[in-house]
Amino acid sequence: MTDSLPHLSTEFFTWLWWASEHGGGRIDVDGEEIILWVDDRLAFRLPSEDASRAVLTGADTARAAEAKAALAAGKVIKEVRLRLQWADREYGFTLKGTGLDVGGLVLPALPEDGDEQDRLMVRMEAIEALWAVLGALYRQFAEVRTQSAWTDEVVPAVHAWLAGEA
Amino acid sequence: MGFLKGRLTFRRYRVLDPLPDDFRDRFEQAFTDHAFREKSTISKGEETVGWVRSDNLLETDFSNRDKWLYTHYAMAAMRMDKKVLPTPLVRAMVEKRIEEWCEENGRAKAPASVRTDIRLNIENDMLARTLPTVKVVNFCWNLPEGWVLFENTSDRVNDRFRTLVRNSFGVGLEPFSPLDFLVETPELVDPLAAAGMTIMSGGGR
Repeated sequence: MTDSLPHLSTEFFTWLWWASEHGGGRIDVDGEEIILWVDDRLAFRLPSEDASRAVLTGADTARAAEAKAALAAGKVIKEVRLRLQWADREYGFTLKGTGLDVGGLVLPALPEDGDEQDRLMVRMEAIEALWAVLGALYRQFAEVRTQSAWTDEVVPAVHAWLAGEA
Repeated sequence: MGFLKGRLTFRRYRVLDPLPDDFRDRFEQAFTDHAFREKSTISKGEETVGWVRSDNLLETDFSNRDKWLYTHYAMAAMRMDKKVLPTPLVRAMVEKRIEEWCEENGRAKAPASVRTDIRLNIENDMLARTLPTVKVVNFCWNLPEGWVLFENTSDRVNDRFRTLVRNSFGVGLEPFSPLDFLVETPELVDPLAAAGMTIMSGGGR
C-alpha cells in the first residue's frame, strides 16, 4: 500500500475545499460533526509540474475569484492550509504533496503542566487525533471517488461551483 | 525541544520491519555507534551526519534512556554539518593570487596546474577557518505502532534520514501514503489506485 498516485492527493485537496464550501464547513465524520475550512493559503501547480504556479494567501482565500479561476484553468492544488474544529479542539495546518506532508501545524491549547514526557504524550495524542480525522475524511473521499456518484454528482457540482452557479 | 512545543512541520513514515524484543539495548547501541562526531577536517560540500539528543545538539551520550525514550516513543535528532564557502570571495582571492603569481614569475598567464593548486590552497585555508552550517532535525518514533514523524519535508534531508535510520537500526522507512488510511477498507484501494485523473476545469470525467 505504498504507491500513492499524485493526482489522488490533489483531488483530495479539491474535494476538501469543495466539501467545506458546499456544506457550510460542516462535515459528518463517522457520526461526529467537524467544521473544516480553507484558511489563508492555497498553492496551485500544473498537473505535469511540481513547481507552484500560483500561490494565494490572505483572508478569505477560499472565496477569492483567483482561487477558483486557477482550478478552472486546469491547475491542481499543491498545498492547502486548513482549519479544523471538532468538540473543543481547533487545529491549523497545511497539507502538501503526495504523501500529505504536514506544515505549520498549530495544535489546540493543551495542558502545559507535567514533565517532558507528559507534554510529549499529550501533543502526540493530539497529532494522532488529527490524523484519525484526516483518515476518516480520506475514506469518505475514497468511497465517493470510487463510485459513479463521483462522475455523476460530485464533478458536475464542482464544475458548477467553479462557474459560480452553486 | 523538538516535538515538545511550537508549530510542527513533518513527514510521516511507516516502519517496514518489526522491532526485536531487545530493541532498547539495540537502539542505545545504534544511537551510540552512529552518533554525530565532529571531523577535524571536512572538505568542501561534504556533509557530516549523525544522531544527537533532542535536548541539545552537542549531546551524543545515549546511555541515559530517559533522555531519548519516553514510554513508547523514541525521540532524538539527526544533525547534519556542512561547510560552505562564499563563492564570490573565493573566486576573487584566487584571481588576485594568480595575478601575484604571474607578476612574481614574469608570465602573462598561469598554467592550469598552478591555477588549480592556488584554488585548492585557498579553499583548504578558508575551510579550516570556516564554521559549518548546522542543521538539526528531530524525529519521534512510535515504537509499538511502527510510525515515525520527521520534522522536515525536504526530499534531500528525508533521504539522508532514511539512510541513517537504515544504517543505524537496520529497518526501512516508507513515506506515508494516503492509501494507508484505507487499511480497514481494503476494497477501496485497487479501484482508487486505478482511478484516472479527473479534469476539474470542466467537461472531463
